[in-house]
Amino acid sequence: MRWRIAVWFVLPAFLLYTLFTVYPLLSALANSFWRWQGTARGEFAGADNFTSLFTTFPLNQQLWPALWHTMAFFAGTMLVQNTVGLLIAVLLVELPVARRLLRTVYTVPYLIGGLVVGYLWSLLLSPVFGPVNASLRAVGLDSLARAWLGDPATALPVVILVNAWQYLGFPILLFGAALAGLAPEYTEAAKVDGANARQRFLRVTLPLLLPAIGVVSILTFIGSMNTFELVYSLEGAQGNQPTGPGGATDVLGLIFYRVAFQEGGSNAIGQSSALAVLLFAATFAVAVVANWLIRRREITLT
Amino acid sequence: MRPHRGFAVLAVAASLAATAACTATGSSGTGDVTLSLWSWRPEDTAAYRQIFAAFEKSHPGIKVDFKAYKSTEYNTVLSTGLTQSGGPDVMQLRAYGGLQPLIEAGELVALDGKVAGLSNFETTSLEGARGKKDSKVYGVPLEMSTFQIYYNKDLFSRYGVQPPVTWEQMLTGARTLLDNNVTPFATAGKDTWLLPLYDDTFAATRYGGPAFEKKVLAGQATFTDPDFVAALDVLNQLKPYFPKDMMGLGETEAQTLFATGKAAMIPEGSFALGPLQAINPELELGVFNAPPAPGAVVTKPLQVGWVDASYGLNAKSGHQKEALELLQWMTTTEFGQLVADTLKQVSLVKGVQPGDPLLGQMVQAYRSNPTPYLMLVNFRYGTPLGSDLQAAGLQKMLLGQQNPTQVAGDIQAGVSQWFKPQ
Repeated sequence: MRWRIAVWFVLPAFLLYTLFTVYPLLSALANSFWRWQGTARGEFAGADNFTSLFTTFPLNQQLWPALWHTMAFFAGTMLVQNTVGLLIAVLLVELPVARRLLRTVYTVPYLIGGLVVGYLWSLLLSPVFGPVNASLRAVGLDSLARAWLGDPATALPVVILVNAWQYLGFPILLFGAALAGLAPEYTEAAKVDGANARQRFLRVTLPLLLPAIGVVSILTFIGSMNTFELVYSLEGAQGNQPTGPGGATDVLGLIFYRVAFQEGGSNAIGQSSALAVLLFAATFAVAVVANWLIRRREITLT
Repeated sequence: MRPHRGFAVLAVAASLAATAACTATGSSGTGDVTLSLWSWRPEDTAAYRQIFAAFEKSHPGIKVDFKAYKSTEYNTVLSTGLTQSGGPDVMQLRAYGGLQPLIEAGELVALDGKVAGLSNFETTSLEGARGKKDSKVYGVPLEMSTFQIYYNKDLFSRYGVQPPVTWEQMLTGARTLLDNNVTPFATAGKDTWLLPLYDDTFAATRYGGPAFEKKVLAGQATFTDPDFVAALDVLNQLKPYFPKDMMGLGETEAQTLFATGKAAMIPEGSFALGPLQAINPELELGVFNAPPAPGAVVTKPLQVGWVDASYGLNAKSGHQKEALELLQWMTTTEFGQLVADTLKQVSLVKGVQPGDPLLGQMVQAYRSNPTPYLMLVNFRYGTPLGSDLQAAGLQKMLLGQQNPTQVAGDIQAGVSQWFKPQ
């Protein structure tokens, strides 16, 4: 009986997945419908935990800016990753030497934890002692030296750039693999038809890379919705206040952290579970729709 | 039937993990009672070993097992430890609002009448360990903190600046320093928890200090009171004398600016004395309190201070008698002096001399002209915390995103959701 053998192969992953992914998800969903007194469950709350997210001051005033910052975080990261990442990947494919070395180098920051990367960059960007401002001053660009993480105008862009810098290795790897998987016949045929390099890239290579771009975008979206540790270590979390100068870098992941662990309200479990459920639902819905769109696009391509 | 065995293994593993978590503490088998004691100061572990060695010497039969958790995780660890078995017998407690959830959940033993030595403390010292609802004392005060302005004596004498007696003198001195490329005040805006303390330090005289506190608590004034709004604005007026990059600076960076002589003054806590001297042991330090701000309601400098921590007793502890003995010992001058000399903190036990003359000066100022760390002492009994609202608001104000009236309005709107005047 073949299916018996299959069961044994599926079982470990199924158990782990159920225990550590499905069960916590369902328990968070259940928790969000009850009132909590610390770790003791109180009466059934219905949708109260959800509505209170949007009616409690100052939480209600923090959610929308945080959503906006999260979206900007996604858009900015994706813009950098899909352009610079693709450019580097294409260049690496064309590069005759040191290709493997460079690919590894670009991937290294991705292997370091976000907390460490954030801490290192916060030292680099320190307005008084940091080498970034010091080098700007050394070359006479004093007017550009500023408190990068303490200025509401630059804080979010800087956080986005650091994030993109850290994860750049991932799209490079993915695009690299996708480029290597493209059959050379397509570009050769285009060449024979008289297409120049620009046309070959824009009309042939790029459309064929769309599935890879889609995957990178979806994964970036999921990562951005859950982003936390980099912003936390770059800007710090101050009690239950929006993070960053004037709240300029507050993101949804940080709001969840504060509601769950920092605010100290006795109903923290209920309210934070409600927020987690909303976050999960939004992320899941967008990921499913985007995936469907890409699949459809893929089908029309082939 | 094989899969079932898999489940059994899993269940056994899970229950093993659970029992391991429950038997974290216990008494040793020698007949001695071992009290487990929790703290949020891992950096004080060595000092505490020394302190409890003295206790064990004079109290044969009782051993103290000191265990410290990271400060930022302590609240969670403690509240879990107290609700389940395996919690500590005696533990360090947060002050004021931070203590109330434990009291309301019935996790702590009221110490009135049980620890005679509580009379070794002044009444205000006990406020930090008092239950808001039943007014009972739940902790033996450990130490207090004060907040004031430190100055660099060498820089002051080099530029002919004196510790100021009037506000105008302070600004003149600050301008002199600025002209010589020295930042007058090393302030940090990234660690926003400091901002409400800056406001109390520079402007408690403007809103009225303890008198305003009484009025707010009685419901005779709110945070939108013109005096409180004007006090917020005092920081705006001082902005030219703060570092240009203030919002990008954390506390340690501000301390480094000051300790390395790039800034001449720093508003900091008594707890920063050690760190400042550690960065630069050569530093010649002095302290003063801000002179009354323009339009001040109180016409003498005030010293900001508050109780930081106390030690309390777990209601579930199996060693109540021995734990009370330890707490009683913590009210003696012997323990107080150890806190001052070994922990280098300001003990609240009457008659204890602070180890450092500067600390002595701070305590002396607090005894004669105290003013509370308003938001910590009174407005952390509900969420949103008053200190969070004021910190976020002051940051926006100093960034030019909000004016003092809006900041005050937000504080009032947030606090009034849970605060009921008495």
